[in-house]
Amino acid sequence: MILSPARWRRPRTDWLRSIATALVALIAWEALARALAGTYLIAGPLEIASYLSDHAGLILRATGWTALAAAGGYVIGNLTAIALAAVAILIPGAARLISSLALIVFCLPLVATGPILRVLWGPGLGPQVTLAALAVYFTTFLPLQVGLRAAPPNWFDLVRSYGRGGWTALVEVRAMAALPYLIAGLQIAAPAAFLGALVGEFTGAERGMGVLTIRAMRSLDVAGTWSLATIAAAVSMLAHAGIGWLWRRLDDAPPPLILASLPDARTDRRWATRLNLILVVLVVIALWWLSMEFAGLNRFFAKRPDDIWAFLVTASGAADHRTTLFAALGQTLSLALPGYALGLALGLGLAIALLMLPALARAIMPLAVALRAIPIVITAPLVVVAMGRGATGTITITAVMTFFPTFIACYQGLKRTPAALIDLFESYAATRWERLTLVQFPAMLPAFFSAARMAVPAAILATTTAEWLATGHGIGGLMALTASTSDYGMLWSSVVLLALVAVAAYAAIERIERAVLRRYGAEQLVR
Amino acid sequence: MLVERGSDIGPGITCEGLSRIFGTGAARIDALAPTDLQLDGGRTTAFVGPSGCGKSTLLRLIAGLDPPSAGRVRIGAETPLEMRRRAGLSVAFQDAALLPWRSVRGNIALARKLARMTPDPAKVDDLIATVGLAGFEDRRPADLSGGMRQRAAIARCLATDPQLLLLDEPFGAVDELTRARLNQELPALWQARGVTAVMITHSISEAVRIADRVVVLSPRPARVVADIAVPLPHPREKGPALDALIEEVGAALARHAPAPPPARIAS
Ligand SMILES: Nc1ncnc2c1ncn2[C@@H]1O[C@H](COP(=O)(O)OP(=O)(O)OP(=O)(O)O)[C@@H](O)[C@H]1O
Ligand SMILES: [Mg+2]
Repeated sequence: MILSPARWRRPRTDWLRSIATALVALIAWEALARALAGTYLIAGPLEIASYLSDHAGLILRATGWTALAAAGGYVIGNLTAIALAAVAILIPGAARLISSLALIVFCLPLVATGPILRVLWGPGLGPQVTLAALAVYFTTFLPLQVGLRAAPPNWFDLVRSYGRGGWTALVEVRAMAALPYLIAGLQIAAPAAFLGALVGEFTGAERGMGVLTIRAMRSLDVAGTWSLATIAAAVSMLAHAGIGWLWRRLDDAPPPLILASLPDARTDRRWATRLNLILVVLVVIALWWLSMEFAGLNRFFAKRPDDIWAFLVTASGAADHRTTLFAALGQTLSLALPGYALGLALGLGLAIALLMLPALARAIMPLAVALRAIPIVITAPLVVVAMGRGATGTITITAVMTFFPTFIACYQGLKRTPAALIDLFESYAATRWERLTLVQFPAMLPAFFSAARMAVPAAILATTTAEWLATGHGIGGLMALTASTSDYGMLWSSVVLLALVAVAAYAAIERIERAVLRRYGAEQLVR
Repeated sequence: MLVERGSDIGPGITCEGLSRIFGTGAARIDALAPTDLQLDGGRTTAFVGPSGCGKSTLLRLIAGLDPPSAGRVRIGAETPLEMRRRAGLSVAFQDAALLPWRSVRGNIALARKLARMTPDPAKVDDLIATVGLAGFEDRRPADLSGGMRQRAAIARCLATDPQLLLLDEPFGAVDELTRARLNQELPALWQARGVTAVMITHSISEAVRIADRVVVLSPRPARVVADIAVPLPHPREKGPALDALIEEVGAALARHAPAPPPARIAS
């Protein structure tokens, strides 16, 4: 069921094994750095340590500013997510609209949104906080959406049998049932907020780690870049682990978390879907327009929907604009798609491999969970430098960004197969392969698909960041160009286009997910 | 008058042409055939019938937790919804429906909270003792066995002093001895106060022991196939009168048993 009484404790030997693995990794890292000394690629742990002690004051202050922005965005983003999820439950008619709007905002490309936020907010913390909030709210909203519905119908019948309605059910049943999901969301959100704040600082903040990172990269300061990446990783891992620790202090086992998309309501008709689509488009356009008008923002940099239309369709240079934009999009997608697919395949493959080799898994998993928290994107320029400015570097960074969440979701999904089913297979002395293909794989599918969906914006973020900071190709490169030439029409058009692509990709995966899950009936394992 | 009753007697229940069909087309399941029923106030009625015949469905319709496909339910002069709004009824669900994050005590107290009644810790602890859960007040449902959970659910039902009790196999997972004891003690709690009770059970002897009337349902879709009054005073001891009734209910059930699959003899 939802809460199990067993306390979650890892045996001491597992800790030792993890520490040993970490030590081996550190030594390998140092050895690699020494072997490649002179190529300006990798800084080893010792070099990083000496850099950090030399620049302790500077880095500490910068980390403080970034952490402040991240914390602000974290609070705002998560409160927004909680409020949205509660409204979607209390007003069932609004649920679809809210989910769709939430998804669209989630799909806004951070790299392209950043520069726009910078001109809207001006200097200061505004863009960093906003981007941090944007980076976290969906990863909290989605688990909450599932968690608030993750109670058996009988619990609601109990509330109804005393004549009480939706609000009482929300307070007495749903809120508590959703708590584990909320915590899991909050945990994932912590590193995401840090990453959002960093990207916000790339867009021209005065201080913070993002500023130092850009500076270090521009001057090819290898030790500096690696030191900053290490600090960012450490902060993210600490935040992730801290929330996990708090949760275990508070209550029981980490919850079985499967973020399957909510099953189609049987009453859902074609026309209802279309109506919703039209409604969503209208609401988005209206919100966009009204917010700009009410804030009295200058049309020169705060473009309205009709400006974009004119820019891409009716204005004199529209055809040229379209050519430029779609060429850039084509370039970006030609790298994002292979990277994304590679990340998914590797994540799935390694998860299955580790399931077959439990001893190795016990050593690697804690590290992998920790590594997931690292804002990999900030190493993008280094990776690109290392792999060359061609396609390989960008594809690699995209694959790595997709790989971690997929791998962890798949592994946890495989491990979460109901114990009774495993017992059943054991009782027939089934082989590991039979167990994998007949039970564990179907049981893992919901987790795999939810990871695949959530990774879409992450993959786009990785590709565009690499393009922006390193290669200068594709939409990311276009971004850098337009931001410096104040070509706001192009900037806004890129945001709209990338968001549309991400929403379409997300929806397409959701379709496949529903079809596959219906066939495997795996959603019954979720309930 | 067979039982001594309190001054205010619970409401009677009237079902008129009540039926329930789940799904449509190929997925259509007729759970309850159109049924007319009149259950007297202050009495305990037991429903027995084969598994999957529609007993739980009937109970949910009476509680108004499910909309009927046709027909209507009246509890006294009220609709089920009105009855629920004033916390006049309690349901013991087939699977206990305890909230896993609340203790036994917390789960039972929750009923009074949901019913907008003042907290009454003494009453809650009394009920816990009555159902034999003393010492487990602060345990969570996960620490209890299936039967213990069911007993906690019954205690929760009684915590709000309802006028109508709807019990769905309340003792289904309780061992034979405890069951016999609960059969003696619990019905006395509500029958003495004139509460109307509807109980679903798979145990014929339990039905005959507790109820004033036993209604036998057919395999799905449920229809009433026998309606047997139990005109014996409480508490009921084992004896020929009880045995005869058990025989009668058993025979009615057997007459309408689902057709067995064709016999196959291994060669
Ligand atoms: N929500 C539902 N949707 C579809 N079919 C349902 C639903 N609830 C019950 N049914 C069907 O209605 C029939 C009667 O179910 P019900 O739960 O009332 O049986 P029951 O008599 O209580 O059985 P048992 O003694 O095993 O508890 C079953 O065939 C069941 O499949
Ligand atoms: Mg039933």
